[in-house]
Amino acid sequence: MSEPLLALTDIHKAFGANQVLKGVGFSIAPGEIVGLLGPNGCGKSTLLNVISGFAPADQGAIRFAGTDIGRLAVDRIARAGLVRTFQLPSMPRRMTVAEVLTGARARGTGFAGLFARPPAEDAAEVDRLLAELALTHVRDLPAAALSGGQKKLLSIALVLRARPKLICLDEPTAGVHPNLRAHMVGLLRRISADGVTLLIVEHDMHFIRELCGRCVVLDRGSVIADCAPAELTANERVVEAYLGNARDKGARA
Amino acid sequence: MLQFLIDVLMRACDLALVAIALSAVYSLMKFPNVALVQYATAGALLAILFQRSGVPVWLAIGCGVGLTGLIGVLLNEFIFSRMLKSGSATAMIGSLAVSMIISAVFLLAVGPTATRFALPISRPMRILGARITEWQLWSFGVVAGALLLFALLYFRTDLGRQMRATATNEVLADATGINTRRMKALIVLISGLLAALGGVAIALKGEISIQTGLDLLLPVFAAAILGGLGNPFGAVAGALVIAVAETIVTNTNFGPLLGRAVAFLPAAYATAGSFLLLVATLLWRPRGIFVSEVKRV
Amino acid sequence: MSDFLIHVTIMAGIFSLLALSLNLQVGFGGLMNFGQIALFGCGTYGAALAFEQDLGMLTGLFFGLVAAAVVGWVFASIGRNLQADYWGIVTLALAEVLRLIATNEDRITGGAQGISGIRPFFPGLESRPQQLAILALVLGCVLVAWLLCERLTGGRYGLGLKIMREEPQLSASLGYDILALKRQCMVLGGLIAAVSGFLFAHYVSFVGPDQLGTSETFLIWAMIVIGGLGNNAGAILGAFLLQFTFAFVPFVKDLTGLPTEFVAATRLVLIGGGLVAFILWRQAGLIPEKTGRARHV
Repeated sequence: MSEPLLALTDIHKAFGANQVLKGVGFSIAPGEIVGLLGPNGCGKSTLLNVISGFAPADQGAIRFAGTDIGRLAVDRIARAGLVRTFQLPSMPRRMTVAEVLTGARARGTGFAGLFARPPAEDAAEVDRLLAELALTHVRDLPAAALSGGQKKLLSIALVLRARPKLICLDEPTAGVHPNLRAHMVGLLRRISADGVTLLIVEHDMHFIRELCGRCVVLDRGSVIADCAPAELTANERVVEAYLGNARDKGARA
Repeated sequence: MLQFLIDVLMRACDLALVAIALSAVYSLMKFPNVALVQYATAGALLAILFQRSGVPVWLAIGCGVGLTGLIGVLLNEFIFSRMLKSGSATAMIGSLAVSMIISAVFLLAVGPTATRFALPISRPMRILGARITEWQLWSFGVVAGALLLFALLYFRTDLGRQMRATATNEVLADATGINTRRMKALIVLISGLLAALGGVAIALKGEISIQTGLDLLLPVFAAAILGGLGNPFGAVAGALVIAVAETIVTNTNFGPLLGRAVAFLPAAYATAGSFLLLVATLLWRPRGIFVSEVKRV
Repeated sequence: MSDFLIHVTIMAGIFSLLALSLNLQVGFGGLMNFGQIALFGCGTYGAALAFEQDLGMLTGLFFGLVAAAVVGWVFASIGRNLQADYWGIVTLALAEVLRLIATNEDRITGGAQGISGIRPFFPGLESRPQQLAILALVLGCVLVAWLLCERLTGGRYGLGLKIMREEPQLSASLGYDILALKRQCMVLGGLIAAVSGFLFAHYVSFVGPDQLGTSETFLIWAMIVIGGLGNNAGAILGAFLLQFTFAFVPFVKDLTGLPTEFVAATRLVLIGGGLVAFILWRQAGLIPEKTGRARHV
């Protein structure tokens, strides 16, 4: 059994008196598409922030591609191949879409690199990505001028430029038009076929069912299920977590 | 020893009112309004000019301070609020620019040399071996009185409660029915009045010039940030700390450390001491030594 | 008259270097550097100290470059988590501390009197050819600096800087080492500022701490805001515009018979008023930043 690409062990994280993550642990093998689900407030976003280096875990270990990344800075983790998107992507105002895409490939900042221009291959890759995401027609607009859905697509393109091994997507379909959603499914499938591992935090069950081979479900900071999407509805604890939350809040399940 | 205390107190008085003004406005408007130190000079200069045209001194002070407060509100309404829409850094640069224009007005009005109130000269008194002049006492009285009034307003009145709510969390205050627009204007007005009064207090015991405001800038920032932005009385404590630091820096005999009988740091290093304290605070305790409620750093 | 024009052009050129340097830090890197004049001071004092010790001009340049690189590196490394305006205050305070040290350490820096009689460029030449040669030297430096900046900001490094400037979180999540980017930006800017200081020292033959006041930093800020933040040609334009306007203010004063304070006041109004006007109505400056022009090999 080969070593998992990402292995979380016993992750704890508290904000003040609020214990958000209580001993979360699971692994992801190379090439998988794993969904990370759970009712609101279960700690999904916090876990994503911990994995990508935006917040340090109080306790526990994170191994990625054989290295312990728990104490590393965000940019080091990214250069190691673990990247993420943001739920509400904020894009530069004084740069065009094409410029941001070109600049997304962070190379070493040695002296020689200071005066270098981006190589020609970059231009070709940028064009290809723009075409694949149907963003060619907005390539010369300021990146901040894109619609919410377009920004989500752009953020996926940006992380692809970083040659990632694992992409953590933070609610990629939130606020996105249903047509665009279908496009995104196809896009992510292609990315996965190219060998990139995906961890997708999501609420949209259809999206999850179409893409993910496996789901990890969190509830109030702990993992309560780790199975295939089809098995979720049969899992009592999952149903209880969602319905229980719904009952508490008086909303419909 | 008493002289040391008096020196510290006098210096702290120089800074206290302007520091409160900066602290209140910075946390409310979310940008450092550099022009505030010019309000201090403006208050004093206007009061001096009013006195020159025949108005009795205390009335002149009232007019000068009041007028400055009003100017502060107008500047905020028409210039700073608009600049703030482009971000706090832009607003800071803008306040810098306004500060320069105000300096230019001073230059044309009274020239570059220092001016003073037309006050009867009084011989310094001796209390327990320490020297203090009558006008230093008046100056202290003005500052203490202003602090007392402000404290009463801020902590004991309904208006003060509303101001505190608006300063802490504007959105929430708005939701509870407080007229935040009026509160903000009020806070800006009061901080302008306090800054102007601070300038008057300085001018009462000595002189005032265009340079006074600029020289105040960093020490006042240091005091406000030390005390924690949004914490007006922390700013007062901050002013005391800065005053102590400056006085110690120049009054300590480093001779023994260096193997000499006497070795003092030059007086100019007093301000360097407070600047370094400011840098240290920003680096290690950016929320101030009392950790105020203001979250942004 | 033409001697005067040559002089003004030389000064405009020297300030262009400072403007290019600050523009790199502020316009492209988003770094609110209010301590720019300290980097300039590294250049002036480097030249002056080498002259005092009889070490030759190039050594002076070297001293200045090294000092500016160190100061720039320190500025960038301090307070990596501070928000822009707080960090700006830190740089302002540190620059003031450096100025105070220069004022007080008489034995090394000549104290408040500074160091004078610094050897000029091209000493063998006659007066007019010497002026022209210096003009050529300064303009040549401006050209080289401009080309360097264009190359830096138009390529990979520029893209990285810009993303960091606007979306630091995004930039880090893509793998950019923000601290390294900031350090490089401040060091590169510092080097250009040091060259400017070196040229200045040998041109006016005098170096002193009064040249390093905060008002000088504000002047350079005005140049880049008015000229156009994030545009190298804009920085040069802003420098030339302000320098030439300042140079002719005394003539206007003579023509209209206004008092001496008019000169200093007008300069303040021009800087301050210009900044306010541009911030409120044309934030992009005279020549706006070029977007979408990242060129590939």
